Amino acid sequence: MAEKLLEIKNLKQYFNVGTKNEVRAVDDITFDIYKGETLGIVGESGCGKSTTGRTIIRLYDATGGEVIYDGVDVHAKKSKKELKAFNRKMQMIFQDPYASLNPRMKVLDIIAEGLDIHGLVKNTKERTARVHELLETVGLNREHANRYPHEFSGGQRQRLGIARALAVEPEFIIADEPISALDVSIQAQVVNLLKELQEERGLTYLFIAHDLSMVKYISDRIGVMHFGKLVEIGPAATIYTAPLHPYTQSLLSAIPLPDPAYERSRVRISYDPTSHKYLQDEEVIMREVTPGHFVLCSQREFETFAK
Amino acid sequence: MEKIVEVKNLELSFHTFAGEVKAIQGVNFEVYKGETLAIVGESGSGKSVTTKSIMRLLPKSSTEYKNGEILFGGKDLLKISEKEMQKVRGKDISMIFQDPMTSLNPTMTVGNQIMEPLLKHQKLSKSEARKKSIELLTLVGMPKPEMRMKQYPHQFSGGQRQRIVIAVALACNPKLLIADEPTTALDVTIQAQILELMKDLQKKIDTSIIFITHDLGVVANVADRVAVMYGGRIVEVGTVDEVFYNPQHPYTWGLLSSMPSLDATEEKLYAIPGTPPDLLDPPKGDAFALRSEYAMKIDMEQVPPLFKVSETHYAATWLLHPDAPQVDPPAAVIERMKRFPGSRYYTGNAGGVR
Repeated sequence: MAEKLLEIKNLKQYFNVGTKNEVRAVDDITFDIYKGETLGIVGESGCGKSTTGRTIIRLYDATGGEVIYDGVDVHAKKSKKELKAFNRKMQMIFQDPYASLNPRMKVLDIIAEGLDIHGLVKNTKERTARVHELLETVGLNREHANRYPHEFSGGQRQRLGIARALAVEPEFIIADEPISALDVSIQAQVVNLLKELQEERGLTYLFIAHDLSMVKYISDRIGVMHFGKLVEIGPAATIYTAPLHPYTQSLLSAIPLPDPAYERSRVRISYDPTSHKYLQDEEVIMREVTPGHFVLCSQREFETFAK
Repeated sequence: MEKIVEVKNLELSFHTFAGEVKAIQGVNFEVYKGETLAIVGESGSGKSVTTKSIMRLLPKSSTEYKNGEILFGGKDLLKISEKEMQKVRGKDISMIFQDPMTSLNPTMTVGNQIMEPLLKHQKLSKSEARKKSIELLTLVGMPKPEMRMKQYPHQFSGGQRQRIVIAVALACNPKLLIADEPTTALDVTIQAQILELMKDLQKKIDTSIIFITHDLGVVANVADRVAVMYGGRIVEVGTVDEVFYNPQHPYTWGLLSSMPSLDATEEKLYAIPGTPPDLLDPPKGDAFALRSEYAMKIDMEQVPPLFKVSETHYAATWLLHPDAPQVDPPAAVIERMKRFPGSRYYTGNAGGVR
């Protein structure tokens, strides 16, 4: 197996801790991300998938657990300098290309902000040249540098978001529903761009989405989340062809496909969390059913899965 | 079959500071009794504008109806007075909007909102309306309807709110229900429930539905017929099988190939190049020509008429002209056509249908 880039160990993110409104958005999840892969995270809204992404990049301080990036704990105390070095390695692309670009800044300054902060360019000439290069990388023109975000369409804005993330030459990119706000014909353009960039630069992606067909297409491995827990994780093809956890099965059976004949025969399975009938003292943990395919289950369930 | 609504040669523009936006440029379609017509297309293709013009919900100050008529029950909806229109809205034609968070009044109890059309249109007494509302809530699958009647929208989840919106829309047993992306804001599992509910209710009260969406999976699930819109025009219309298994317009080809299929392992997704046309200055000829690798010289000059493929299937592309060269659609589309009896790629084995 490839080298681990990121280890997430027992990560917990609770909100309103200590009050009666405590929300366990991310509740004790553990997984690894390997160098150069795309890990897709799917689940319904409110399942904690975005919170997971945001906690990994330290937009939230974790309530418990560890995020280890290349051997270094992300959430450990760091000096400003260390933090800066770390921030350069990890970047994020946001869902809403309308809200994530400052409307009062020119494209040139939006993309160059990271370059300035990290001191990656020596003078204005170099700065402009670098921005032009980045714009061309994401399929825009250099003339676009002097415009403001409102002059762009949704798909073009998302390209700007990608260019901004690439500016500091990160190793790892968290893409939080990067295509949900885009039209179908534009989604394919952005997904292809992300794939090309990955091949060229050996990037690692954490791809968060609820559109399962796109996730399957872009991901090497997929994790399924439900109510703050990771219920199943494994190779993309395995998750789709042989899902084991009943929640994954129900999620997959709910996706409509652009195929009327299939749609007429599709039967939806609904998920009932009480169907597991876990006993009080049963240990429900992630267990490896086939190599690389983990399912949240009890020992009894594990034995039936293994068959 | 009985026609419920007929849109004839509709043309309309918006007057904005930037100039005249030619949002709809000659749209024709009809909806039959009890059927679901899905309208697909990207943002700005005119699908929402078309249906809003049926409901006459477009701002009067900036909208100019240039041509056409919308026939409903023997009347042209574009000609009747606002007062008459109010009798149609919510009674004969009702609408479900995309965002269930904003289409309910946050300061009114859910019960009052469902009772409103009953009191207004059906002149029921308050107690009768209350009884009917509870029935409606039960119909859309809301548990404890009596208790729920007294609650406010913020006390419901997104899927539940959409159920309430459906209950309001169905209160007067409309002849036509317009659903504008009713499931786009919902999760897949909730979406599946709402779609099942809508299909179920359609059977019970025999209403016709215009379903607007850009999700082709949803279309395949709900539609009897499909109209594909691009740049303010309908570019292809046919039964759901005809459009999905025997598409003729290059834009429909592009849409169908840009969706990854769950079982295929394509290396690269097909992406339609370029961006949708600017309707402030619509391109001459076929609006899709600039993005199409199949464009011919004539596409740049003349707008293609709708060519007949079958009794129910029409497409607006010069490729269907008898003098046009025969071209092969993208591979993913040929795969689909192999399953359609009557297409030239039909392989004859019915086993192609999963």
